[in-house]
Amino acid sequence: MSPNDSDASRFKSATTDRRGDRELDVLLIHVARGDPEAFEAVYDRLAGPVYGLIRRILRDPAQSEEVTQEVLLEVGRTATRFDPAAGGAATWVLTIAHCRAVDRVRSVTAAADREHKTADIRTPHDEVAEAVEASLDRERVRRCLDRLTDLQRESITLAYYGGYSYRQVAELLTVTLGAIKTRIRDGLIRMRDCLGVS
Amino acid sequence: MRLFRKDPHSLSGAYALDALEPGSERDRFTRHLSRCESCDGEVRGFREVATEMAFAASDPSTEPPAALRDRVLAAAARTRQLPPEAAGASRARPRRTRSRVPWVPWLSGVVAAASVVVAVLFGLAQARTHDQLNQVRAENKAISLLLSSPQVTLLSRSTTKGGVATVVLSAARHQLAVVTNGLPALPPGEVYQLWLIGKTKTTSAGLLPPAQAGETPPVLATGVVKGDTLGLTVEPATGSAQPTTKPILALPLPV
Repeated sequence: MSPNDSDASRFKSATTDRRGDRELDVLLIHVARGDPEAFEAVYDRLAGPVYGLIRRILRDPAQSEEVTQEVLLEVGRTATRFDPAAGGAATWVLTIAHCRAVDRVRSVTAAADREHKTADIRTPHDEVAEAVEASLDRERVRRCLDRLTDLQRESITLAYYGGYSYRQVAELLTVTLGAIKTRIRDGLIRMRDCLGVS
Repeated sequence: MRLFRKDPHSLSGAYALDALEPGSERDRFTRHLSRCESCDGEVRGFREVATEMAFAASDPSTEPPAALRDRVLAAAARTRQLPPEAAGASRARPRRTRSRVPWVPWLSGVVAAASVVVAVLFGLAQARTHDQLNQVRAENKAISLLLSSPQVTLLSRSTTKGGVATVVLSAARHQLAVVTNGLPALPPGEVYQLWLIGKTKTTSAGLLPPAQAGETPPVLATGVVKGDTLGLTVEPATGSAQPTTKPILALPLPV
């Protein structure tokens, strides 16, 4: 067995753990029924990733904390609308988190401010590489990002981790809107296949 | 698809990453999404990719502060939860039902699913059931997903007032569909209501729609968890928040 094979099998089991996480689904269903212990358990499982993602997008710790609180309260309040048939609990929660972080970016980022932010962008890929050393998750994601074309990778990381709209991404990378939306979609299709998402 | 550059399909990636600015473009794509099953599936897949990216972004040096936990838990305890149904939906619609497909195809799917379950119930030919299952698959996402789950359980029980309730249960999906046959007709102003009776709480699982030739179309209930019992009671026409009469059926669910 080559090292690649054993890597692949490890990655596969990690994938199953995340997405096959029915326990988290059940917890959220209990949250929907007003069970405070279930909410506490959901907090303990997901507050870290939620805060980590928001912090990555917003940078500012105080604002990140504020938005994290908003997101987790929204999770508790709207758990009644969670539909496990439409996707796992982690995806549901992190989709809310990303959306709220981006809302915050857009509300505080006036057009003028964006120039400043633009200057603040380091090479997105290096940034990703920087943040991906320790865990298996990061390793998997980094490998898959590495397999994208530069333009696909930069489009996706700027949009997702940077919280930029695809128009802004097009401006930053000086390519057409049409090219950006295609790169984002093609890149995500490659990521999906690479990560083994169904 | 009138103009190539307006093909909304290609926006699925940007949409899944929240990279569409609020406004007409995003609204248009959201509308498109409700009609385009393949786009919906694609967006879901992309969101799972995004979730992987989110987990990859967090590391121990950015753990949330401990004080946040207490604050969030305290605030959550004071926050009222939304009712299970989306705002503006019809009252007659079962409260726990969240169909993501448009109303009309959903209805036809419901009728088809009713015949499937009834066919199973009366032991009709396997082939016919299978054909109908395929038909349901094509027409209705929510119920067909349930019916096509690898491990569904079929349960059937008479009510104390006569008639039979049949349940297709998927423990993995935490969903069930209920049809009934031969329940006594109710006077105007009364309705049959389903309940999920849990260890600590009882929640409505929807109102039974009016019977057609003695059968009620399936009601889909989500959020079924271990230890739940399916109950059926007679309630005032708009349904009740909690059961007000003695259940005519109590079926423990093997979840």
